[in-house]
Amino acid sequence: MHEKRPKLFLMMASGVGEQAHGSVASQFYSNEEETAFDMTTSEKVVELLNQAALISTEEKLIVLKQVQELIINKDPSLLDNFLDEIIAFQTDKSIEVRKFVIGFIEEACKRDNELLLRLIANLNMLMRDESVNVVKKAILTLTQLYKVALQVSLSVSDMQEACWDMMTQIKEDVLALLDSDNDGVRTHAIKFTESLIITLSPRTPDSDTPKKQEGDISLDKIPKDHTYIRYDTLCEEGKSALEQLLKFMVHPAISSINLTTALGSLATLARQRPMFMSEVVQAYETLHANLPPTLAKSQVSSVRKNLKLHLVSVLKHPSSVDFQGQISTLLLDLGMSQSEITRCTPATVQPRKRLHHESNALFVLADAPLAEDDEDKEEPAPVVTPKPSSSVGTQSAIDLTAEFLLPLLTPDNVANLVLISMVYLPEVMPASFQATYTPVESAGTDAQIKHLARLMATQMTGAGLGPGLELCKARDEEVKEEDGGAGESSSKDPLIIRKLSAVSLGQAISVVGAPAAYKSPITEEAPQIKKLPEPILPTSQPKAPGASGRKKVFKLADVVQPFSEAQIEKLSNMAIKRILLSEKVIAQSGMSHVRVKLLARLVTQFEGGKKNDLLQFILEDMRGRSELAFSLLYHEYNEYLSQQPSGSLDSYEHCLYTLLSGLQEKPEQRDGLFTKLVLEAPVITDSALEVIQRYCEDESRVYLGMSTLKELILKRPSRQYQYLNVLLNLSSHEKEKVRSTALSFIKRMYEKEHLKDCIEKFALTYMQFLVHPNPPSLLFGAGEDTEVASPWTEETVRQCLYLYLSLLPLNHRLVHELAAVYTEAIADIKRSVLRVIEQPIRGMGMSSPDLLLLVENCPKGAETLVTRCLHILTDKVPPSPELVERVRDLYHKRVPDVRFLIPVINGLEKNEVIQALPKLIKLNPIVVKEVFNRLLGTQHSEGSSSMSPLTPGELLIALHNIDSSKCDMKSIIKATNLCFGEKNVYTSEVLAVVMQQLMEQTPLPILLMRTVIQSLTMYPRLAGFVMNILARLILKQVWKYPKVWEGFVKCCQRTKPQSYNVLLQLPPPQLASVFERCPEMREPLLQHVHSFTPHQQAHIPASIMAVLEANSRKPEPEPQPELHHPEIIEEREVF
Amino acid sequence: MPAHPLRVAVVCSSNQNRSMEAHNILSKRGFDVRSFGTGTHVKLPGPAPDKPNIYDFKTTYEQMYNDLVRKDKELYTQNGILHMLDRNKRIKTQPERFQSCKEQFDLVITCEERVYDQVLEDLNSREQETFQPVHVINVDIQDNHEEATLGAFLICELCQCAPCGVRDPVRGLGLVQLRRRLRGGQREQAGAGPGAGSPDGLLHQLDPAVAGPSA
Repeated sequence: MHEKRPKLFLMMASGVGEQAHGSVASQFYSNEEETAFDMTTSEKVVELLNQAALISTEEKLIVLKQVQELIINKDPSLLDNFLDEIIAFQTDKSIEVRKFVIGFIEEACKRDNELLLRLIANLNMLMRDESVNVVKKAILTLTQLYKVALQVSLSVSDMQEACWDMMTQIKEDVLALLDSDNDGVRTHAIKFTESLIITLSPRTPDSDTPKKQEGDISLDKIPKDHTYIRYDTLCEEGKSALEQLLKFMVHPAISSINLTTALGSLATLARQRPMFMSEVVQAYETLHANLPPTLAKSQVSSVRKNLKLHLVSVLKHPSSVDFQGQISTLLLDLGMSQSEITRCTPATVQPRKRLHHESNALFVLADAPLAEDDEDKEEPAPVVTPKPSSSVGTQSAIDLTAEFLLPLLTPDNVANLVLISMVYLPEVMPASFQATYTPVESAGTDAQIKHLARLMATQMTGAGLGPGLELCKARDEEVKEEDGGAGESSSKDPLIIRKLSAVSLGQAISVVGAPAAYKSPITEEAPQIKKLPEPILPTSQPKAPGASGRKKVFKLADVVQPFSEAQIEKLSNMAIKRILLSEKVIAQSGMSHVRVKLLARLVTQFEGGKKNDLLQFILEDMRGRSELAFSLLYHEYNEYLSQQPSGSLDSYEHCLYTLLSGLQEKPEQRDGLFTKLVLEAPVITDSALEVIQRYCEDESRVYLGMSTLKELILKRPSRQYQYLNVLLNLSSHEKEKVRSTALSFIKRMYEKEHLKDCIEKFALTYMQFLVHPNPPSLLFGAGEDTEVASPWTEETVRQCLYLYLSLLPLNHRLVHELAAVYTEAIADIKRSVLRVIEQPIRGMGMSSPDLLLLVENCPKGAETLVTRCLHILTDKVPPSPELVERVRDLYHKRVPDVRFLIPVINGLEKNEVIQALPKLIKLNPIVVKEVFNRLLGTQHSEGSSSMSPLTPGELLIALHNIDSSKCDMKSIIKATNLCFGEKNVYTSEVLAVVMQQLMEQTPLPILLMRTVIQSLTMYPRLAGFVMNILARLILKQVWKYPKVWEGFVKCCQRTKPQSYNVLLQLPPPQLASVFERCPEMREPLLQHVHSFTPHQQAHIPASIMAVLEANSRKPEPEPQPELHHPEIIEEREVF
Repeated sequence: MPAHPLRVAVVCSSNQNRSMEAHNILSKRGFDVRSFGTGTHVKLPGPAPDKPNIYDFKTTYEQMYNDLVRKDKELYTQNGILHMLDRNKRIKTQPERFQSCKEQFDLVITCEERVYDQVLEDLNSREQETFQPVHVINVDIQDNHEEATLGAFLICELCQCAPCGVRDPVRGLGLVQLRRRLRGGQREQAGAGPGAGSPDGLLHQLDPAVAGPSA
């Protein structure tokens, strides 16, 4: 397949294959149709045509193409013979076949021009084919054949006029197709127009004609005396075609394809017909400034590429010299560098000028007055005037308008224009603008202003506005009149006439028309406009009025007096106020973002008053106008940035400060706008920070304020320490809520590694204040007089410690710092410290290594602190072995203060407790009570599982066994009293066991009997048990221990009558001793014995009876009152 | 039915990787395709980024292959260059320069924007003759093997969408649809030249068969 069809037909389709094609074709035949080799060409054609009538479309095309090859290239003499047969296929139902016929017509006519006479009608018919594709093919062919037709009409003498008329008609039809609905048809029509214009305009020496088209006919080859082809008609037709093309180009909804095609056509025109250079460049300018908004992004990019490409190709043409400025500006805008542009610019300048003069003698006329004109005009405008004929009209309109605009483009006016046009900006940036926009580099320079003036002039002229256009209209009318008048005489060379009039009129109009035109709107001299076209003979008006006329042009600017400062101020204020007040209306129209942007931009550029107005306006409804607030803030900041490095933040700061304070002072504002403003502000200034601090100090907003502050600290690392400091300062705030919130925020932040140091340092610094004799002024806030050396108070001490103490549970190491400070602090502070540390120390727990270390080291002077810590730790829970170990070490090795042991007493060994007891019970009674509480487990209401090393009994026994040399008896008695005080611990059973054990000791403890008596007092039902004890004491010869014996007697005395039996067991001397002490006992005892049965009495030894009866006659002594009161007895006994 | 099959040209810089990958796939799918480069030389990666192997367009793929085998067989096997050349030489003998080819196409597909610009410039510099339109479409493809393969499939899809669209603009809707799909992925660009048109915005006039070798 590959070697068969494609190659050959590609070539054939291209249709211009010459010898090369022939050879390929012959190869084809030698391959394909060996059999047909001997046949004549004519026979072959006949056979092929016969085949073609019968076969399918695809094959038909192949066959027909063979025929075409044969009769056009191989043997053109056959062309005439078979023409009709092939043309007959123009009614074939296949589009492709019909298209082939068109192609064939083209080739045939090119081979033999005169065939066109016969074929033009067919072409005309195919032009009206129902298939668009056929129409397009027809247009394509006509593009080629139009010049052939012209050529034929000229060269063939008997050429029928009708044929040419038809061609002219067809031409009009094609031009009309520029408005076709079909994009492709339009595109083809453009190409046709291009080649039409080239044909219908004269080739000049500077024309850049392609080699292949060297021989093509053009207007300059048309004889002026042809019978039916009129030079001037053709010339006009060409111009009108160009106008149509230009008009087509500026259609706002032109498609991308049409546009690129037209761009290319214009470039071809400019190169081949430099006389149109001006129109082309201007069309490019207009296009560049007005890319159709309908284009997609890639299309814009494509159009711009094309524009650039064509501009470069135009620029390379020597005739572009007058337009180099405009072209390079365009190319710069399209992103080409200056050096590239220079490279593409032809160097020859002078020769071209001369060329122009030679080619058109008229320019001498045009140049002459201009040269003079230049002398009394400062502004040189040489580019403007010397234009090729047909361009004068529009060119001047734009130029004049641009010239008119130039002095008006003051910064003020431009700014106003920008402001006004803001309102008309579309919602979304059009792709064309996005692609074409390049930042204006040379803003404000003369060149740029000129460029701008030109751009605007192009737009205005396009829209039918501007003084230039009016002038030109007037002039055109004049031209027509003059044409009308001089038409007959100069019909031989209408072109020249036209030029003449145009040029001379250019002068004339600037004389009278300009001032009138400009003044008319002001002075209501409207009728004068009508008079403008009044013919004025160029010769009768010398240049002088022209000059004055120009001056008057500028007078318009002079007429408009600048406002005074005050007026400007007032007007701008009013303008801004209007924009401010139009809030609702604009919001309804959905353009409020534009208003916001506008306001922010405007106000940023003004000083003082307006800013405050706007800020006030925003604060009136901060929530609704927050967008405006942000926009303003950003603009202020932007302003500051744009003035770097010397810029001042004052304005921005003022704005931010005002907004924040406004929010802070508003009571009801709750929706986080403050936070948003702070967090989105580009920079937080010092004053703004103050507002934030004030916000945080407000109890009702403290949380929101501090959250904001926290965000700031975390999200603005560059100044986070400054923000952190604010928060830290708040941690010692006098208001409880502020302070506690600050502390909880700091605690959270303390977890962040990079903030840790800073927070810690701050906390420690504050704590260090405690070593000073007086609290630093810092604590009283800035307002108070620092000179007053007030003393430390509980409150000030706390202030210094809040932060520290809240950090302590998070970082136990800090505890050592506290110890260091503590040792140096005065007593008042120490007390305060001891009061406040409970919570944090408990938070640390006794397993904290640092706390243990503190206990271990216990700095000198910090004993109370350590003790306090120990107490706090063991208050609710039993001490851990580690803690006990540390305390024990401390006690034994460094500070033998028994008070250390108290908190951990339940962690000590039994013997250690017993050892410590003497010292312990000597302490302050309250402390002793505490110790006992711990030992007896009575302190914990919640019944914690603290296991005392001593049972209550053991404790009591230990007390009894304290060496009296180590401790005075009074303390011991008090201690035992404490025990007896705990009735629910020391039950009768416990006491019984204690007594039992004590009794069995040898020697007997001094306090034994006291305890017995006490127990008896507490539990009278123990009497029996006590009797038993007493009896056994007798066995232990209790009388040998004087104190105990004393107690024994007292006990007996108190327990009578049960004790009688015990007493009777005493040996006689002891019984006598008893009676010595208590004589009143004898009589009852004796009666007791007498009440015995005789048998019982017999058991009582005589010696006893003797003692009993010894002083029976004696009167009984009075009972001692104190004997009835055990307590008093005890006193006497012990002391 | 069209008068002739779609004539496609795929153009990249050196006519080695991207255009050849597409050439390979398109010809396997039965398209009438040719491939070209627009560079002044044929460049292949060398041992270092600043030391490419440079050949002129007259050097055949075979010669390049042998040259690289001689230079560093390992390296060029490993980076796939030899494999690529081996494939290329089985498609055609040597790289071709677009600017030197005067054949007529319906569709010219370029593989990067710079190449697109060069093609456009070249086409514009030619003299107009037949006024026959041609589409020039840019499909941005990174110059590596993977992207080339992906790009080639895209190009193939593009061609299949417009079997007649290019030749017959009225029915060129297939192309428009593909453009929409392409926008998501590869960047695609198109331009129209001074030729006749089609509704999709992608054409360019090309003057084929300029007799004799032109500069």
